[in-house]
This record gives sequence, C-alpha cells and structure tokens, in this order.
Amino acid sequence: MTGFLVVFESGLSQGAIYAAAAIALAMVWGAMGMLNMAQGAFLAVGGYASFAVVSTLGFPWWMGLPAAIIVGAFIGACLYYSTVKWMYRAPSYDTNIVIATVGVAIVVENGLLKIFTAYAKRQPFHVDGGILLDTVTLRYQTLINTAVALILMLVVAWLLNRTRTGTAIRAVSLDREAAELMGVSVQKIYLQSMVIAGAIAGASGVLLTSVIPMSPYVGHDALLKAAIICVIAGLGNIPAAFAAAFILAWVETSVSFLAGARFGFPALLLLVIIVLLWRPYGLFGRSQGGRV
Amino acid sequence: MTTPKTPSEKQNRSIQRHNTRRNELRLDIAIGLLLLGLLIIIPIFGPGRYIIGQITLFFIWAGVVTNWNLIFGVAGIYSLAQMAVFLVGGYTAALMGFYGDAPFWISAWIGAILAGIASVIIGAATLRLRGPYVMLLTLAIAVMIQKLVVTDVECFYYEGALCYPLTGGPRGLMKFGDFGFREFLGYKQAPLGKYYLGMILLTISTIFAFVIIKSPFGSAFRALRDNQLLAASRGINRVKYQILVFGMSGFFTGLMGVLYAGHFKTIGTNMLEIELLLFLLSMMVVGGLGTRWGPIMGGIIIMVSNELMKEMGEWRMIAFGVITVFFIVALREGVVGLANNAWLRWRNRSSN
Repeated sequence: MTGFLVVFESGLSQGAIYAAAAIALAMVWGAMGMLNMAQGAFLAVGGYASFAVVSTLGFPWWMGLPAAIIVGAFIGACLYYSTVKWMYRAPSYDTNIVIATVGVAIVVENGLLKIFTAYAKRQPFHVDGGILLDTVTLRYQTLINTAVALILMLVVAWLLNRTRTGTAIRAVSLDREAAELMGVSVQKIYLQSMVIAGAIAGASGVLLTSVIPMSPYVGHDALLKAAIICVIAGLGNIPAAFAAAFILAWVETSVSFLAGARFGFPALLLLVIIVLLWRPYGLFGRSQGGRV
Repeated sequence: MTTPKTPSEKQNRSIQRHNTRRNELRLDIAIGLLLLGLLIIIPIFGPGRYIIGQITLFFIWAGVVTNWNLIFGVAGIYSLAQMAVFLVGGYTAALMGFYGDAPFWISAWIGAILAGIASVIIGAATLRLRGPYVMLLTLAIAVMIQKLVVTDVECFYYEGALCYPLTGGPRGLMKFGDFGFREFLGYKQAPLGKYYLGMILLTISTIFAFVIIKSPFGSAFRALRDNQLLAASRGINRVKYQILVFGMSGFFTGLMGVLYAGHFKTIGTNMLEIELLLFLLSMMVVGGLGTRWGPIMGGIIIMVSNELMKEMGEWRMIAFGVITVFFIVALREGVVGLANNAWLRWRNRSSN
C-alpha cells in the first residue's frame, strides 16, 4: 500500500509537470509541424522569470506565475520573429526548424547561465507541507501543480476548439494553403500559436522548478519527456496529451520504484523507440501520405 | 532575343555541361591536394604541441561531420545519434584496452566495425520514419545510452580500494592505452604520429564521401531526399541505399571515435551533450548541408572561431547558437553554397 501511494504521489507530481510541458509542445507541433527543441529552454526561462520577479524584485510569491506567463509569451514571439517567420515556406522546414531551435535553445540557456550563474536557485513559487495519507505525504505543491496543469489544459482546449483563433489554428494545421486561400493569415496564426505556447511553457517552467532545483538546463529531460508524450498521444489532441502525461509519469515512477531509479527515464525512452518502430507517426498519428 | 535551338547548339550545351563536370572534378582535386599539402608541411614549421593538438582535433571533428553530412545532408536522414555511433567506436577500443590490454591497432578495427553495425541498426530503425520523428528517435537512443552509462555506478572491477563500473560510469574510462606513438616515435614526436594518423583518416573519409556523393549512390540519395515517392516509383531501393550509407559512415565515425580515445586517453558520455552536438551541427550548417566541401570548410571556420573565442565563456556557445540559427535561416547552403554562387555569377559575367 505504501509503495503504491509513493508511486501515486510522485507520479502525480511528475505527471503535472509533464502534462504542462507537453501541452505547449503538442500544440506547436500539431499546429505548425514544428518540433520546438527550444521548449526546454523556455521552461527554464519561465522558472527564472518567476525567480527574478519574486526573489529579486520582491513581489509576492504567487506573482511568479503571471510573470512567467508574460515572459514566456514574449520569448515565444521572439522565437517566431527570429526563425519561424523566415523559414516556414522553405523546403524541409520541419527538420530545419529543429536545428534552428536547438541553436536558439543553446543561446537562451547560455544567456540564462550568464545572467543567473550556474548556482542552483530555489523556486519561490513553492508551498511547503501536505496532507498525510496513510504513511505518504500528498504535498500541497503537487495539488497546486496538478490544478495549474489542468487549468492550462482546459484553457488551451477551449482556445483551440471554441474560439475563432483556435478554428483558424486548426484550419492552418490541416491544410495551410487551403486556409490561406480562405483568407487566414498564416503568419498571424503562427505568431499567435507561438505566443500561446510560450506563455504555457513559461507557466510549466514554474511548475517544473517548484519540484526540482532550478538551473539553465532544467528543461532538457522535461522537453524530451514532453516529446515522448506527444508521440504516444498524437499531435494536436491536447486532452489526450494531458492523460498520457500522467500515465507515462506513473509508468516512469513504477519502473523507478521496482527496478531502480536509474531505469525510469530510459524505460520511457525505450517505450518511445518501440512505439516509433511500430507506428512511425506516433501511436495515434496518421501517415501524411505524399504527393509526387 | 531568343533564337530557336539548333541541334548543334544542343550538342554544344551537352559538351559544355560535360566540361563543367570535369572542371568541377579538377577543382575538387586541386583544392584537396592544396589543403593536403598545406597540412603535411604545417608541422615542419614547428607550431608547437598545442596547435598540432588542435589541428588533430579538427581532423577528428571534420571526419565526424563529413560522415554525418552523408547521412544528414546528402541522404536527408536527420539522425542525431552520430555521437552515439562515435562513442561505440571509442568505448569499444577503450574497454578492450582497459580490460584486455588490447593494442589500439587491433581494437580500432573492431570498434569501427561495431560502430558500423550500430549505425546500421539505427539506420534500419529510421527506415519508416520521416523528418522530426527521425530526430526524436535518434535523440532518444542517444539520451538513453547517456542516462544508462552516467548512472552506472555498480562496481565491476577493483583496483586496490578503487572501484570501477563496467562502463566507467559518469567519469568515463581512462588508462586504456593508446596508439603507442610515444614508444614508437619518442615523447617529442608522439603528437605528430596522431596528427598524421588523423590526417590520413580524414583524407580517406573525405575521398569516400566524395565518391559516394558523385556516384549513382549520391544521385539516388538526393532523389530519395528530395522526393521519396517519386524516387521509389522510379525503382530506387531505399532500404539498400540507406543501410549501406549508415554502415559505411558508421564505420568511419567509429574510427574517429577510436582516434579520439587514443588522442585524449579518455572517453566518456560527455560526448553526448547537447553543446557538442550543436558545435558539430554548426560545422555542418556553416559549411553547407549536403555539400561536398561543407564539412571541411565549416570545420575550419568553427575550429578557428572556437580558438578566437576561447576566453569568452558563455558567449562562445551563444555565438555558435546565433551562427547556426543565422545560417539555417538565411544561408541554408552555407559558405560553400555562397562561394559556389559567387563563382557562377562571376563566370557568367565574364563569359557574356
């Protein structure tokens, strides 16, 4: 029972972070066909934005989250204007953008390193204590993170399915040329998608760094796990990505608990390798076919 | 004014095209011999151990990038597992040297063959994937290897009270011997042995890459890269070509890994870090993805700028990031493409 509760609690805690990270990645990947490797750096930016506003400027602790969202949205726009805007029409955009975003990630991470130094910081968006369940403490932080991730998921799902912008984003992701012919401005839609994804990434960065120590490279593993979730859940389906995040987090913590901590993440990586070998476009992905 | 084309004019153009191709080959050979001659005589001027070491490192990275470019640029299979293949070669030689005292001259071949096999497996795994999914799969393979080795702390071998994990764990492997140039050439001349060995390996890799790019294989790769369906419908067998290019490029990459292990006398999973990946990626992108001279030119440019920015700390990585983004966004053909275009424009102007 204790073992189950330990796995449940730490899986919930991890799952909330993965879910938040996966939402933004799935949205951009689904809407723009862009695997954003700078997402991990964006998470770090969100964490440090909260740190700067609360610990350095002295605002109350909960102000960290809106600050991270604003800074994240800004950096999302920066990414759009520095790379996507000039690239999305060029051939092999889907792979060149990965290279470009790896470059951006290195720039952002080393910029953070320069500003904040490598010394691990403590995320001020942090609540101590928890509810004692049997022998395991369900931390308040876990509950807050899960709630924030759920809200982010609902907001994005609402944006995509219920608003005009969301309709346009979905239209562009289905067929860019057709949407353009219908009068949708692709540039505007891409900018909006990047801003939304950046804002969500900023918020998830705060959640991430509330659980693990903050460093410029904090987002590396989270980015890869978010990408794994996208492959398992399929692109563009935000609620599925949300559910998959928790399932995979429980898988990871179970493996860590049963086989040893060092096998948790490799188990997920092995899982995604197997899934890709079996279904080359992800578990629920469709082959795009091809035009000759 | 356009005049209708006469058969003789057509013939002329075909001859002209043939001549350009022959001129291109002549130019390649001329540049190659010039570079090679320069590299052969550099040590005569006695530039010191440091410069010789850095040029040896250039040979290693340019060799890795040359082979990566075959997969990444020419065949258009965006594998990020290149450094994992490199490590298969390096670790094989290191493990054989550490546990079996195997001489590097023998373990190098085994390392290279195993790296080739590992590369073939990766190539086979990516057969059905396209674009970013290839990158994700290969990155997952590389990170999985890194995580498993870094967290490997179980004692496998004891040396006195010291405990060594099988793979060396987070510290990597050391004290596994090397090519033995020191016994062979003496302490003073040993770096030159590694220098010339690196030069020979890079030259062989480069010739191999040129032959692949120029041969029907290269055309098949370009066809598959640019339009897979059309190429397949013309009867190009993707499986055969992809397995072949992964195997050969993996073999040479593994040799470079062995050379690295023998040069630095240490090898570890820090080779899989994203910084090094970007460093090598920037060589390929700055030189020009899929171009023949790209890896060498990019390698020279990046190694020299790395040297110039040595004192700049984080700014160095920031600069490489900015350069990579700039080239992939604005100059997708790299400096080689740029030089090529300038040359074509100049020739057209002078012929008019």
